[in-house]
Amino acid sequence: MEDRKTILICDDEPALRELIRASLEDGYFFAEASDGLTALELAREVEPDVVILDLMLPRLGGLEVLARLRADEHLGDIPVLVITAWNETREDVLAAGAAEFTSKPFDPDALKASIERLLEAA
Amino acid sequence: MRRLSLQRRMVAASAVLALVVGGVFIALILALSDMHEARAQEARSKQATASAFALQSLVLDIERNLRGYVFSGQREFLPTYERSVRQLPKSLDDFEAVTRSEPRQGEQVQFLTDSIRLYEDEYAGPVLNLAKDRRLGAARDAAKQEGAFRINQIQNGFKKFHRAEADLTKNRQRSADAKATHAIELGVAGLALSSALILLFGFYLARSIARPVREAAEGATELAAGDLSRRLSQSGPGEIGELTTAFNRMAESLQRAHEELEEQNRQLRDSERLKSDLVNTVSHELRTPLSGVLGFTKLLLTREFDSETRRHYLGIVDAQARRLSDLINDFLDVRKIEEGRFERARELVDVGVLLRDEATLYSLQSQDHELALAVPQTPLPVLGNPDRLRQVIGNLFSNAIKYSPHGGRVEVTAEMQGGAVRVEVHDDGIGIPAAQQSQIFTKFFRAEAAASGIPGTGLGLAVSRDIVESHGGQIGFVSTEGEGTTFFIELPGADGASDQRQGNPADRPKERTTR
Repeated sequence: MEDRKTILICDDEPALRELIRASLEDGYFFAEASDGLTALELAREVEPDVVILDLMLPRLGGLEVLARLRADEHLGDIPVLVITAWNETREDVLAAGAAEFTSKPFDPDALKASIERLLEAA
Repeated sequence: MRRLSLQRRMVAASAVLALVVGGVFIALILALSDMHEARAQEARSKQATASAFALQSLVLDIERNLRGYVFSGQREFLPTYERSVRQLPKSLDDFEAVTRSEPRQGEQVQFLTDSIRLYEDEYAGPVLNLAKDRRLGAARDAAKQEGAFRINQIQNGFKKFHRAEADLTKNRQRSADAKATHAIELGVAGLALSSALILLFGFYLARSIARPVREAAEGATELAAGDLSRRLSQSGPGEIGELTTAFNRMAESLQRAHEELEEQNRQLRDSERLKSDLVNTVSHELRTPLSGVLGFTKLLLTREFDSETRRHYLGIVDAQARRLSDLINDFLDVRKIEEGRFERARELVDVGVLLRDEATLYSLQSQDHELALAVPQTPLPVLGNPDRLRQVIGNLFSNAIKYSPHGGRVEVTAEMQGGAVRVEVHDDGIGIPAAQQSQIFTKFFRAEAAASGIPGTGLGLAVSRDIVESHGGQIGFVSTEGEGTTFFIELPGADGASDQRQGNPADRPKERTTR
């Protein structure tokens, strides 16, 4: 039980947070935020092993959250998987330091595989 | 003066010029005729002098021959004497005729002619008769005394006449010279005045016509080159003034039309941009619920869950599918708004019931918000389309929840107020920045919501306003940024509405069935 990884899920849509949780199944600690500022606070608090980040977030946009995470000395190395409906932002997102880009709608199995891959690499 | 037309001014100027030139010519002709008259008088004066000399020499001839005969007794003097006496009346007539036009010499002429006639009648004739009767002594005495006296008198008279005539001639010559000089001076002055007037007139024409016309031509060129702000200085008399005024009016309307076109162009571009933004928004907005539907469906199809979890996931799929459906309806509503067709179904609707239904629905959507309803149990009847009114109320609830992202209380009140049903939805959310309040009902406008990540299509309020207005009501809001927003709608109460619609049979059966 000690090697359970922590995953921070940031999405303003509760249904999608639940879908992500369900896709990844049990075996993880989940922290959830519905807006960008909460996401940053939670990230500092729980120091997650991976962050799943939506771009359209209230209060603080996903790209800004990503930039602040990258700039933080403690959190800068945490892999971030961006999941968004804005497909055309892929290049920007990867350039900003995201480890993975997943477009909505997404396949639950593919998401699970991506997260596992990121956790293994880390 | 300014209103006098150019045509009239030109006619007036030409008339003045013609009058001046005419006046100068008349004066010139008068001066010339004066001069001519002076010359004629001069000539007459010379004639008078010549005639006087002729008369004088005739009288002296008569006297000389009379004396010759009287003192010598020789008859050869007689023929000459008699010829001279015969010539005398004619010579006198001549003299009188020539001097008649000279009243200043009249007295002198009268004296001379009288003296000469008396000399001839009372002296020469009688003396000759005495001599012929050989009474030479008496004749010689008479000749010596009376003759000498009369001749002397006549000579003096002529001397006076000649002196006066010479003076007159001199005066006349002087006056004729003066008049000639005067005529020349008048001619020169008139010529100079006419020339000056013509020059002035030409200068005036150039200034008042040529210059404004040139300016108008330059203005038209600049206008054609695209400088629509070009105006002519409002100068120039009459028609020229009309020309510049018309030019400026033309430029004005050109500029206005141009600005209107640019404004329309800008609006078109804006609306194009908004539409392309909408396409992005639509695809994004559709993808989020679609993700839920597809994702949970895939999970349900490929993994095993207990029945409670399965039911829960199916509930989410159902809710997300409904949201998809709502979104699509919103987009279709926008089409309908743009095409100006909204179903105008009219039923008796209790707004209180709608509010309670929607409140139940929306309170399930957010755990962070509390929907507090203060709605009377008595009916709040309006005539309208229940689905559309439900849509408006749902939109206001959804906005109140969306724009208070930190959760909180949404207060809903409803009451009859002066024959109208008034609904207020109050939240303690982020409020609407003052600068954006005027655009809140604009289609696709989303305030700062897009940047702050609040989802939406930017259509809800535009659709709501159209629905409310198609029900004869109004929608509005009061908002302070950072403190919250209160939206209100007012719909005409059904009692008044049904009274007004008595005459419309199409509506009446419907009202009855819903009662």
